[in-house]
Amino acid sequence: MLVTITIDQREVSGHAGMTILELARESGINIPTICEHPQLTPLGGCRICLVENEQTGVLLASCVTPIAPGMIINTVSDRVLEHRKMILKLMLASHPDSCLVCDKGNNCQLRQLAADLGIGLVELDRIPQPAIVEELNPFILRDMSKCILCARCIRACRELVVEGVLDYFGRGFKTKPATLYDFPLENSECTFCGACVALCPTGALTEKEEMYRGATGHAVETICPYCSCGCHISLEIKDNMVVRVKPSVDNADSRLEALCVKGSYGLDFIHSPDRLTKPLIKKGEHFEEATWEEALNVTAGALKQIKTEHGSASLAVFGSVNCTNEENYLLQRFARGVLGTNNIDNGSSLEHAATRRVIKNSLGFPGINYSFTDLEQADLILVVGADPKTSAPLVNYLLKRAVKFYGAKLILIDPRKTELFYLTDHWLQPKIGTDFVLLNSLAKIIIAENWIDHEFVARKTENYAALAKSLENLSLSQVEAVTGIAEEQMHLIARLYATAGKAAIVFGTGITQQARGKENVRALLNLALLTGNIWRKGGGLHLLQKECNAQGACDMGTLPTFLPGYQPIDDPHARAVFAECWQVEPPAKPGLTASETIFQAKAGIIKGLYITGENPLASFPHSALVKEALESLDFLVVQDLFLTETARQAKVVLPAASFAEKEGTFTNLEGKVQKIRQAIKPLGQSRPDWQIILQLAAALGHPMPFTSLEEVKEEMSELILFYENYANEKDVEEKEFWETGTTHRLPLRKFPGFSPAEYSTLPVETDDEFPLTLLTENTSFHFGSGSRSSRSSRLSKFDSSFLVRINEVDAQKMGLFTGEQVRVISAVGQLPATVEITDVVPEGVVLLPRSRPDRPAIGLFSLYPANEGKIPTAKTCHVRIERSLGHE
Amino acid sequence: MNKKSEVEIDQKKLQDLITHYNQERWPLIPLLQKIQDEFGYIFPSSIPLIARRLKLHPSEVQGVISFYAQLYTEPRGRKTVRVCRGTACHVRGGKTILKQTKEHLGIDEGETTDDLEYTLETVACIGVCALAPTIVIGHQVYGNLNPQKLGQLFKRNGG
Repeated sequence: MLVTITIDQREVSGHAGMTILELARESGINIPTICEHPQLTPLGGCRICLVENEQTGVLLASCVTPIAPGMIINTVSDRVLEHRKMILKLMLASHPDSCLVCDKGNNCQLRQLAADLGIGLVELDRIPQPAIVEELNPFILRDMSKCILCARCIRACRELVVEGVLDYFGRGFKTKPATLYDFPLENSECTFCGACVALCPTGALTEKEEMYRGATGHAVETICPYCSCGCHISLEIKDNMVVRVKPSVDNADSRLEALCVKGSYGLDFIHSPDRLTKPLIKKGEHFEEATWEEALNVTAGALKQIKTEHGSASLAVFGSVNCTNEENYLLQRFARGVLGTNNIDNGSSLEHAATRRVIKNSLGFPGINYSFTDLEQADLILVVGADPKTSAPLVNYLLKRAVKFYGAKLILIDPRKTELFYLTDHWLQPKIGTDFVLLNSLAKIIIAENWIDHEFVARKTENYAALAKSLENLSLSQVEAVTGIAEEQMHLIARLYATAGKAAIVFGTGITQQARGKENVRALLNLALLTGNIWRKGGGLHLLQKECNAQGACDMGTLPTFLPGYQPIDDPHARAVFAECWQVEPPAKPGLTASETIFQAKAGIIKGLYITGENPLASFPHSALVKEALESLDFLVVQDLFLTETARQAKVVLPAASFAEKEGTFTNLEGKVQKIRQAIKPLGQSRPDWQIILQLAAALGHPMPFTSLEEVKEEMSELILFYENYANEKDVEEKEFWETGTTHRLPLRKFPGFSPAEYSTLPVETDDEFPLTLLTENTSFHFGSGSRSSRSSRLSKFDSSFLVRINEVDAQKMGLFTGEQVRVISAVGQLPATVEITDVVPEGVVLLPRSRPDRPAIGLFSLYPANEGKIPTAKTCHVRIERSLGHE
Repeated sequence: MNKKSEVEIDQKKLQDLITHYNQERWPLIPLLQKIQDEFGYIFPSSIPLIARRLKLHPSEVQGVISFYAQLYTEPRGRKTVRVCRGTACHVRGGKTILKQTKEHLGIDEGETTDDLEYTLETVACIGVCALAPTIVIGHQVYGNLNPQKLGQLFKRNGG
């Protein structure tokens, strides 16, 4: 229904329910605001947006007043201006005149508004204000004397990131935003995501321990290089330095204006003193600095020699989930076209190779990408083996918003009591390794109770009979014994999931990396297919991948068995297409996976290895074995930002440029291809990975026909499914480019099919020597193997702990106390750690953080692949804990 | 011994009160009042429990408590001593009465004695200006006060 009102003598119409402010803005009439923010619920707190209703003479806060037919509004009458000025003066009377030294500088909205309204120093009596809050954390500085109580921080915390750490405390003049018990932020639930700092209109909340202070010249929009959410960030630049990071704002978009602590405060690794700035060549035991020419020639010479003497199959390449699509594309072309081997893999295959295979079998395409903003439309969200709080914070925010504000039900299946527990109505804690049995039982119940989406199953899927038949012999009472979940509970969850309507599934490495990861994923797909949740907006499956470009690296074919776009390497047609373009045919024989490469290197079969941006010594299982393998190589060249544990083993180390120093694209977990932009010049002599790859190809005598990144993009858009249009950005607006990314990649070529269910569990291995099961987890303050986050000064300063978390029962059995130093020992290694007793893990399970390159928890796991996906079961392993004797 | 500690809080009683309400926002104030009725004040460690039950953030619960003057997060004395600071009492020496009350009780305005007997407050007027200066102890009004009378008053009341 249209409502017509008059604003400043102009007749304008809006739909009922709109506020005066919204309609005024739409009509191009500017009303100043402070507490209002497009992503927050209106508060009407600051009263700066006052307007006058000419009929009644009432002054209204336009941000909270809905339009009514026939209203006559004046936004600039003398009365409005007089009151607006007075309100601002009152704010300034309780605000220090320290603008000259305030870090907010010209970005302060209060100061801006005072200037606009012509207000200088205020003649009113000052209201004394509390001072800076002294806190230990290295991220956020709170100066409450500058707070104007607009509650943007409170609402950002509650509505955007759903932490609710802050709220008003006290009344009247004493009011301030505070944490529970007014504790310092580090003693509260604060995650230091920085959403409050980004939204604070004054200097009350500012960044702490910045590398550089003051106003910056310009900002560059790019993509965060940590997790696979692919948040849009804005890098503020001064003197070739990234000074500050903020969420990039785009009002037309529904993206949340919030990052996580890593995005907001963890990108200072760019300027870490540890950055490699010159190529290094190992002479004897030590590295010596070299010129690029020397380094490239030594590398090319060594690779050429190995290829001539031992053949292409003795060479291998590791691509990087942290490099761009273009770089991964070039790298696999380098491996296949120049070196002549399919021995190329990337780090994410350790986590998701089997998953991709299963998804390909079920859906016809090995990727599954839903727009995660759709989560807010879900009626029910099933989170299985994933803790998005640490692995995909933006998904975590959306998920919590869905539950808290949009009424979605949340069901959690995880052995750990993750933080989502506090939002969920149902938490299932199956015994470790039995998830697929539980999930298949849900399918059985759904079929038995006839909660199937019959139309969907009949018209759009295949192979239903096989699934139904395979479930016939599954006995729910046995499942109860195997999983530890009561039958009626399974029944309840099956009903909730099947009858919810739009039911989404969020799953992560917690189930994909298990020994039975494939069965887990298959069972999840079956559930989604049975209930028609594959094509439903708000439904679907969200696979939480880890690194920023895990999806892209695989799309680009840095995989031993797939060409770009998941074209099978053993398909002659696919090879012919690439051969025509590359003028050289890719080898037909499938290559080695990353873990196979390690074994073959140790066996002396792989002799030369080229690693870009991976740190296997910290990110692969069984570090001791990986180290032996790397030492057995004739030649190792590592291309990285830092002299990582792996790089130290290399003969040649090539300094790469960081994400802020190059162009390219990342593909996030939704399948969106997003552009990264160069913000600063490469540090020292470091170069973007794509240039190094091209130069190395040239040095090997097989130059690739590219002179610019644009040409690489054109070739990619011709050859790779879902990347068809992505190079044509010249003709499209910037914003459209962001949006042209394909978000819903679903199979178009065949019907998705059910897979028969498998529910025989592996025999439970009990091991008297190693009685505990070890799980690893991400932490909020570190990421991946930690190569970058441990070099962020603020992140590592704040969280340098290495805690082994252990259940109270186990602790009592062993007589351990919180804070004690212990060693965690597995069959293949041991690590020192500090005990923390917790109820997060069940009895018999212990938890170690993953992201400490100096203490790679993953190194305790065995590298032997336990499944068809040829991926090691890097999620669980058997350990024991011993008290440390003396200092270690 | 610190009598203000929370050691004596009956956790079971608290749980009973909290579980009576469920997962909604509206019962927050009635629940806070019930807890205060039961225990004399809302002890801070109960805030997260209340919040979880009503699906609120603990900071929100604290925000509500800190907003209302009727809700306390510190133990209160069994009797509230209200010294009148209205105009009539002021001209009749109310200021001195307040000063001496503080001395007798050994506490400042808004504070509670260590034995949890008295909490001291001031009020603007209690409506019996003819008796000025006045104070109220518990529900009993005392008027026409002077320093001697005040002293006896607290002696009688065990202050």
